[in-house]
Amino acid sequence: MTDLLELKEKIKLIYSKYEAFIVPVAKFLLALITINTLNGRMGYMTRIDDMRIVLIASLACSFLPVGIIILIATLFSLMHMYALSMEVALVGLCMYLIMYLLFFRFSPKGSLVVVLTPLLFAMKIPYVIPIVAGLLCGPSSVVSVGCGVGVHYLLGTVIDSAPNIRTMGEGEGQILEKIRMLVESILGNKAMLVVIVAFGITIMVVYLIRRMPVNHSWTIAMIAGAMMNVIILLIGDLLYDVNLSVAGVLFGSLLALAVGKVVEFFRFCVDYGRTERVQFEDDEYYYYVKAVPKMTVQVSTRTVKKINSQRARGNPAEARSAAGRQTARPAGRGAAAEAAGRRSISRQASYPRSRSDDQRKGRSLTIGNAENVEDYEESMDEAMMDEMMPDMTDNPDENGDWQ
Amino acid sequence: MLNEERIILMTQMASYEQGEGRKNVKIGSYFRSDYVAVQVLKSIVCAIIAFCIIFGLYLVCHYEELLQNLYEMDLLGFVKDILTYFLAAVGGYGLFTYLVCSWRYASARKSLKCYYHNLKKLGSFYNETK
Repeated sequence: MTDLLELKEKIKLIYSKYEAFIVPVAKFLLALITINTLNGRMGYMTRIDDMRIVLIASLACSFLPVGIIILIATLFSLMHMYALSMEVALVGLCMYLIMYLLFFRFSPKGSLVVVLTPLLFAMKIPYVIPIVAGLLCGPSSVVSVGCGVGVHYLLGTVIDSAPNIRTMGEGEGQILEKIRMLVESILGNKAMLVVIVAFGITIMVVYLIRRMPVNHSWTIAMIAGAMMNVIILLIGDLLYDVNLSVAGVLFGSLLALAVGKVVEFFRFCVDYGRTERVQFEDDEYYYYVKAVPKMTVQVSTRTVKKINSQRARGNPAEARSAAGRQTARPAGRGAAAEAAGRRSISRQASYPRSRSDDQRKGRSLTIGNAENVEDYEESMDEAMMDEMMPDMTDNPDENGDWQ
Repeated sequence: MLNEERIILMTQMASYEQGEGRKNVKIGSYFRSDYVAVQVLKSIVCAIIAFCIIFGLYLVCHYEELLQNLYEMDLLGFVKDILTYFLAAVGGYGLFTYLVCSWRYASARKSLKCYYHNLKKLGSFYNETK
């Protein structure tokens, strides 16, 4: 565990040090994967299915806000739909507009979730989303996740209907028929409704339990959320016959639990063994406080001390001054004087605390010539003796003993 | 002499100003009624556009039935139904926006109150050093 905590601290340090580079690279990769997945799944417009265009779009996303990734992904998907059929693009545009106007304006922060949800669906690991959203976001993420699920099923419907749409003609009746077919396929998609309901309830369950003041609330929330998700999906499958893979749901939920534990380790790593309960009061309230300490560990740091003798060798004047310093201030005496902690102000002004102090400030200090150095040493000895043995007189008594 | 407590406070406040605080300051610059009214108006406009899109799609999907029954159906009743749905949808969405925005305004004011308290504290630190 200590190793893991050290690793976590190191990752945090690296992130804080290189945040300016890590965030744009992450956004670039997210945009690249999103657009590539879209091109791979749809790919009806061959002009935009070009690596150069994808790279340019991803680079633009890397230094723009995350919301721009949604905009670019929307544009790409609409262009693919347009290449398939103008009616499909019209239906897609209407769906996106409805989502934006009615739902997305209430949770503009959830743009990352909206991008990630269809992406994880495409990677066959969608059950991670409700657990992680419940752990990290608030209840408003239900809207973002719902929009993400809607986008996934919209794209899925378009892809499934593509062969039929291609065989249909371009007559007036056919245009309306295409629109009707798509709208009915989207609205009649029971699987989408079941998944939206299951994910929404899972997010709320995870969110509510993880905020409860009980030990291991995050773990309990994850497990309860995953179970709730599985149960609702299975009930939905039984009621509406949505053809969900039971094994996929179970393995996906287990994976979601594993990802949830990783998120917990980075976000909520506490030591319940050292929980403290305190009770106090003020004029108006009694306070019953439960304080759970975080698990932290100091990252071991190695300090390399360089002893550089080049200055002394290179410049004769500095070499002399360095020699003078060494003669003027023996380390043991200085240390003893510092330990006594009673050095006079005048001496502090004339005598630096340590040689390294002067070197750090980039200046050398020469304390007089050779004669003065001897005088200085004598005066120092007397002063130090005064400080360390202030009660002793300068002369012995009649018996020859010091008082 | 560096005052560690003051630096920590300033860092926290700068972080707040750049993140959540920016939005809260914007919300806090309105009176409650003005902020909620503007948001509800925006929502009503959005709801009207969304309703028109949905109704348009409905018409496209059912145009054959509508054309066949155009002379037999109760047009007044149909329009009444549509208007009822329209008012229910727009009104419901407006009410939902009202509740959400009232809550947002209250939490933003609370957060700004804490921010101004910290500003006062920072001012007192400076006065102490003088």
